[in-house]
Amino acid sequence: MSENFIKIQHVNFKYKGSDKGLLDDLSLTINKGETMLLTGASGSGKTTIIRLINGLIPHYYQGELEGSVDVAGYDIVKTELYELAGVVGTVFQNPRSQFFSVDTDGEIVFGPENIGMDAGEIRERKQDIVGEMHIEKLMGRSLFELSGGEKQSIACASVAALLPEVILLDEPSSNLDQGAIGNLREVIRRWKEQGKTIIISEHRLWYLKDLVDRVIYMEAGRICHEWSGAEFASMDRDKVRSLQMRPLAVSDMLSSDFAGEDSDIQTQEISDGITLKDFYFSYNKKPYLIRKKRFRENDEGLSLCIPRLTLPKNTVIGVIGHNGTGKSTFLKCVCGLEKDCNGIIEAAGKEYKGKDRLKICYMVMQDVNHQLFTDSVEAEVLLSMEEEDKKRCYQILEGLGILEFKGKHPMALSGGQKQRVAIASAIAADAKLMLFDEPTSGLDFCHMEKVGGLLKSLAAENNTVLVATHDPELIELCCDYVLCIENGRVKYLRQVNGAGEERA
Amino acid sequence: MSAKLDPRTKLYMILIVSAVVMMSATTPLLWVVRIAMTLIPLILLVAEKRYASALRFTILYAIALVLTFCFLSEESTGILQSLLIGYCGIAVQFLPALITAWYVVRTTKIDEFMSAMQRMHVPDGIAISLAVVMRFFPTIKEEYASITDAMRMRGISFGGGRPSKMVEYRMIPLLFSCVNIGDELSAAAITRGLGGKVKRTSVEELRLRVSDWILILGFTAAASVFVIFKYVL
Amino acid sequence: MDKKGLTPKDFISIGIFTAIWFVVEFAFGILGYIHPYIVAAYVVMLPLAGAIPMMLFYTKVEKFGMLTIMSVLIAIIMFVTGMGYLGAPITIASGLIADLIAKSGNYKKFPKTVLSYGVFCLWICANYFPILVTADSYRQDLVDAGYSAEYCDNLFRAINPRTIAVLLIVCFICGCIGAFIGKAAVRKHFEKAGIA
Repeated sequence: MSENFIKIQHVNFKYKGSDKGLLDDLSLTINKGETMLLTGASGSGKTTIIRLINGLIPHYYQGELEGSVDVAGYDIVKTELYELAGVVGTVFQNPRSQFFSVDTDGEIVFGPENIGMDAGEIRERKQDIVGEMHIEKLMGRSLFELSGGEKQSIACASVAALLPEVILLDEPSSNLDQGAIGNLREVIRRWKEQGKTIIISEHRLWYLKDLVDRVIYMEAGRICHEWSGAEFASMDRDKVRSLQMRPLAVSDMLSSDFAGEDSDIQTQEISDGITLKDFYFSYNKKPYLIRKKRFRENDEGLSLCIPRLTLPKNTVIGVIGHNGTGKSTFLKCVCGLEKDCNGIIEAAGKEYKGKDRLKICYMVMQDVNHQLFTDSVEAEVLLSMEEEDKKRCYQILEGLGILEFKGKHPMALSGGQKQRVAIASAIAADAKLMLFDEPTSGLDFCHMEKVGGLLKSLAAENNTVLVATHDPELIELCCDYVLCIENGRVKYLRQVNGAGEERA
Repeated sequence: MSAKLDPRTKLYMILIVSAVVMMSATTPLLWVVRIAMTLIPLILLVAEKRYASALRFTILYAIALVLTFCFLSEESTGILQSLLIGYCGIAVQFLPALITAWYVVRTTKIDEFMSAMQRMHVPDGIAISLAVVMRFFPTIKEEYASITDAMRMRGISFGGGRPSKMVEYRMIPLLFSCVNIGDELSAAAITRGLGGKVKRTSVEELRLRVSDWILILGFTAAASVFVIFKYVL
Repeated sequence: MDKKGLTPKDFISIGIFTAIWFVVEFAFGILGYIHPYIVAAYVVMLPLAGAIPMMLFYTKVEKFGMLTIMSVLIAIIMFVTGMGYLGAPITIASGLIADLIAKSGNYKKFPKTVLSYGVFCLWICANYFPILVTADSYRQDLVDAGYSAEYCDNLFRAINPRTIAVLLIVCFICGCIGAFIGKAAVRKHFEKAGIA
């Protein structure tokens, strides 16, 4: 039984309505208790393999399936999904969309309740899982007030509560910061110790390096390379680079910035630039009878407190800091989306207050779907212009390499293309200060490189780019400066080592 | 007395209160019964430590009552007064139901509610859908907030002055997001066994305690008094 | 879909679209606090505003029960949020009939969908039910309690057993018009984007 625990044989798969096959005669066997990593570019078929094992293909996502899939003695094609619930558990990519309940307790017992377990037994099991994963402090809370990392912990607990033998993780770290990834790693390690069979599809590799027994590298629906855990861990940088994988170690890149060490770094003085003045903001508003309250520097409990900060013009500035330290708040306040924050932006001798800030700033949101409104790429860009100018619109689209999609619906594009459409409308709106909130979450290395190149070219065209990110790789790729935010305050702003020479 | 009530008691409370708000109070006795029935959910809100909403509702209700009884009992005319009467009339009439509903919605967990539905032999499909409705209200709120942010950034909050665009720009991205989230949510729920043939269990214990019976009896009595004194006597 | 009957995914879709419908209804319902006449105008606003999500909903499930369950959910939510239960039978009946009409067109034929949505919208009139049923005693009570005749007249001039027929018809027509608008929006966006 322990050999060939999961057996995928000669599988071809095509989604319904698509003519491109996603898997090409793929065969793969996985032993019981093995921890396996699936990596490779987006669209290489990693997610399809995960969906084959948990039965979502062919039962939920329909398409043409050839070949056989066998998991723990179940023939997936002939097994109903609910029968697999206690056998295979899946942690998905997006922490926001994978919970069913509103409260944390309800979410953990959701699975066991579905399979009709005895109430007393469920309660015991919940106690065990909560203790094991050290999430006592998350109990009894609303899932909507948790951070992404905390939600992902609950998702893991909820999957574990069914005691599956096989656990699948589909890009689980996409929306997590360094600290939360550390927790996730611990969870996976514990599952490994318990002898579970674990399959992880992932772009971020550093946190899994010492955990995995086997690594599969996919390309265009086939297995291209296969390494043992030890081989993988000792792979040299050049080889990793040549396969377009994300780095295996963060230690050699800016890890001090992300670990929050080096507290003695001084903020560099910048003479010519964009100055932010009096940015104060707090989420913990006291309920005053008459609202309209301005925040001041010495208010208590400020989520953002920046009396004065000068940003170097026409550069790419990486905004870093742990989740919940105010990166997103900072971006929202700068571009004027938080109405109660009354900061002033000084750029090129002009002062921008209140709503005027929205005119020179443009934020590309983490979920870019929220900012696409029209039915074609062209209309989307024209919407941002004061006066419609088709020629300029085509120029912008051309520059971003998306002119060919001008008649398409923005929502029909891929994630990266949507991001470009949003950038195009930012350029069309004449924004000089462009803000990006986690533009590379969940991207593979190749796409990340593209985003990095794009940000650099934006800066070269006299835009100032602020990019909040968890990815050290992105900083290395494109940032001239790093702005570290801690507890809503600027910890430091400094030039990225070597950025000056490289570009000279 | 523990503050936690059985969801079925809460539903019964709504049933009675919604019935009573349909019948208007005409005599002082009926007013007393009505106000007493309004006070119970207010007290329950306090017992659940929801002081702010309890206070807000109490003040609102009190103001409406005072205005109705002291200032508006004349044959009042004029736009302001007629509007004021409208508001106070609606407030006095329907606030009891609103307060009860608020109390129930705020203090009942979805899981509890679902197991109450199951006990009352409501089919699983309806219970699942209902749980999704409850889970989706906060999601819609979150998504809508990001969309309006994006609209302000683009300066299209008023759709260029065209109401149809105002609706379109809000509705379309919201629907796209909701459909996506729904797809992922379904996948995650199904892999955790939703929709199996076995009967769902629940860790929420449903038991009618003494406090439940007291309330059920109390509300039944109040409703009976109301009906008897209004229609029979 | 080769399987018959509603799947868990369908139940989840029904839940989602009910939530969206309810939010839309609530957003416009608030306007009713401004003046009683606006309450009467629900029959115009709600069918039109709710049409886009509903037309998308019709393309998403395409199975018998989708509208019936939705109407049951609406009835339950109306009840729990203290808006009375007298309208529940009407709500569920309109949902069931709408479901049957749509089923007769296999959930694909657009004319049937238009009719079905028009009928479905009739549940909005169930909101007026409490006022109708209690109208006589209610009006007398209001006057007894010393309300101005003006407000009562406003309220009852807009909604009474005679106007309700007109309201029902208006509601149905607006539902049908809404279906066309909603379908246009679905074509323009969701079909073009490949999800519908």
